[in-house]
Amino acid sequence: MTHDITVSSAHAPAKKRAGLLARFWQWEASGILVALIALMVVLSLATDNFLSTYNMSVVARQAAFVGLVALGQTLVLLVGGIDLSVGAAAGLSAIVGSLLLTMFGVHPYAVIPLTMGFGLCLGFINGFFVAGLRLNPFIVTLATWEIFAGLTMVITKGYPIRPLGETFGVFGKGEILSVPIPVLVFLVSGAVLIWLLTQTRFGRNIFAVGGNRDAAVLVGIRVKFVEFLVFGLAGMFAALAGILFASRMDAGQPSVGEGWLMGAITAAILGGTSLRGGQGSIVGTMLGAMLLTVLANGTVLLNVSGFWQRVIVGGVVLIAVLVDLFRRRG
Amino acid sequence: MTHPIFEARDITKSYGVVHALKGVSIGIGAGEIHAIIGENGAGKSTLMSIFCGKIRPSSGTLHRDGEQVAFARPLDAQRAGISIAPQEINLVPDLTVAENIMLGAHETTGPAIDWRKTRRKALRHLLEIDESIDPASKVHRLSKAQQQLVQIARAAATLARILILDEPTAALTSRETEKLFSYVRRFRAEGGSVFYISHRLGEILELADRITVLRDGAHVGELDPKTTTKDEMVRQMAGRVVGRGNPAPHVGLEAREVVLKVDGLTRHGEFDDVSFELHRGEILGVSGLIGAGRTEVAKCIFGLTQADGGTVELFGERLDARRSPLDCIAKGLVYLPEERKQEGIFPLLSIAENMTMPSLDRFGGLLRMRTADMLREVDGFVERLRIKLGSPADPITSLSGGNQQKVIIGRWLMRNARVLIMDEPTRGIDVAAKFEIQNELRRFTDREGLSIVFISSELEEVLDVSDRIVVMHEGKVKGIPAAAAATQESLLQLAMS
Repeated sequence: MTHDITVSSAHAPAKKRAGLLARFWQWEASGILVALIALMVVLSLATDNFLSTYNMSVVARQAAFVGLVALGQTLVLLVGGIDLSVGAAAGLSAIVGSLLLTMFGVHPYAVIPLTMGFGLCLGFINGFFVAGLRLNPFIVTLATWEIFAGLTMVITKGYPIRPLGETFGVFGKGEILSVPIPVLVFLVSGAVLIWLLTQTRFGRNIFAVGGNRDAAVLVGIRVKFVEFLVFGLAGMFAALAGILFASRMDAGQPSVGEGWLMGAITAAILGGTSLRGGQGSIVGTMLGAMLLTVLANGTVLLNVSGFWQRVIVGGVVLIAVLVDLFRRRG
Repeated sequence: MTHPIFEARDITKSYGVVHALKGVSIGIGAGEIHAIIGENGAGKSTLMSIFCGKIRPSSGTLHRDGEQVAFARPLDAQRAGISIAPQEINLVPDLTVAENIMLGAHETTGPAIDWRKTRRKALRHLLEIDESIDPASKVHRLSKAQQQLVQIARAAATLARILILDEPTAALTSRETEKLFSYVRRFRAEGGSVFYISHRLGEILELADRITVLRDGAHVGELDPKTTTKDEMVRQMAGRVVGRGNPAPHVGLEAREVVLKVDGLTRHGEFDDVSFELHRGEILGVSGLIGAGRTEVAKCIFGLTQADGGTVELFGERLDARRSPLDCIAKGLVYLPEERKQEGIFPLLSIAENMTMPSLDRFGGLLRMRTADMLREVDGFVERLRIKLGSPADPITSLSGGNQQKVIIGRWLMRNARVLIMDEPTRGIDVAAKFEIQNELRRFTDREGLSIVFISSELEEVLDVSDRIVVMHEGKVKGIPAAAAATQESLLQLAMS
């Protein structure tokens, strides 16, 4: 449970003895972890190559891209919002980043932070309307989704921007200790966000705002600032995913980010994040992103038609929601 | 009493190991008003939910006119002539008053709704209770009190012979309360029966034919309103003699420094030219009916809304007209809202987090939050405020209303608040916890020099706890008498003058 994060570790050892299993089951991401492990066991038995180093790195990299977007989305969901524009923001940022590199000759190493900054600004646009003007996040981000996606087409006229060059390619293709760099970025980002949400005032304020906005105002939390910043971060993580993907593809493709929106929301929900705000966890989202990619990968390896993949994902989400329901009713 | 038209025999209800009801038997006759009293958690609501078919008993039987009945859902109870007007407003805000009253019981011709007939019928039920409510108005336009009355009209519209009214007067002004009472009496005269739940003991003595006391899920006694007293009712509810606060009023307050000075505060349409001074160590009651503008003044002082005129001084320093709650909190002025569930607590968070939320900056370490320090401080306040809890890591919702309120008080003491504006701090809290909180507040003002603005609709409570009382009516301050010299009657007279 979220409220246990900061206080339970030092408290009530008696409770711990009440059973590790029960406590594990209480944890909102427990179901998804079990599901993920089960799925991986099945796939490793049913196929020859699921556990191969190559396949694992493919899966992990895919999970990293959609997972990065999902991290930002989780923050937005936690404050009780939703950001439909993340996929389009990732696409637009990737294009802008690619242009910085090719047209403006910006150093490849500077492109990543600049693109993230650009994504942050895209997110702040959402934040301005949602937090500043108190507009409905669904409507605002539906509009900015169209705007961002449209701008991408205006800029590119539908053609990819390529090549991006060897030096830049290292971010998407490179490995450190045989771990792909995007995967490392994903893991580090997740760790930073876990720290942010559990150990900082800003993080706890996110839970407070999402759990009860009125009360948060009254205890003196800068609610609008929290919401504004969270939308900015969602844009920033989307941009990070987008530019890493461009680096991986060696091209700024206008289609970057398509499909990431649903993936991001699905990953967060699978991980136990509530659409009503105030409840959820980064670990859950990371596992959710893993599960989604493993599922997709599994259907490919098992030669299931790609068309069935979406049916299966939908079914899994429903099952996850049901499991959560039964756990709550305990 | 005549033969009971509705009877519950030996009803129990268990949730796991928790026994909400332990074998309660209770009946009601035709034309009887039967009051049920008890502290929060005594089982009143559970029992009423069983009567209206919302939940099913674990064991025991219900009898209507001597025949055993079982309610699988609320509709079954309605068919048996039992209907409830719950305490919480339970209307569809965007539909009209008329449609809300007839919801699910629309008059139809063939497949289509006959709107004229439906409206006419709704109007009839509405007029019975309050002729001033416009049936064509959307419900969200109504005041809370009017919504409550609409809700009662809706219950009556099911042609109920047995009405369950759960805290019907909680949001009503005295005039509306009178309307409700005369309706209830008319309903009784026509042979209708009413289960009446209220924390307001005075109105129960005035209205009820019989009083049943529940405590910890058990039927502990029956009282006759003609002979019993409020003290006796409280004693039965609490199961012990409750230490009444009756704290001695402070002497020489006028000589002490003024911590909060409100001068000519005005917000058009809400309140007008409100002035008062709060001294160090004082509890300043604010009384008045709902709609007197008390909450509006509190929110304005706290910077949630902006005044059209007037000034607020805190510790001799004039506060910025565009102050935010954050500024006020930083200077030691805090506001505890009226709607604890909606504006006070973070329902998804733990007790410890609810208490420390505004003080988190104090526990920020270099990399980690200093959880151990935080818990030590929380434990300190848990002890000081005598909060009954399992572990501070438990969710706040596991606590009773009284203990939740104490957590919120602890929240601000931890933040070094010096001036507290408390809006209905004991509403919905059971009698014993109420007295405990009153005494606790007294202790804090006496020993630690806190100053409190105490807003309450209950005259009795305001008189008990305050040093002086600001009497408000329709947005104006009518007077600030000393509590020792005032009575409930004098306060009412002052308000109406």
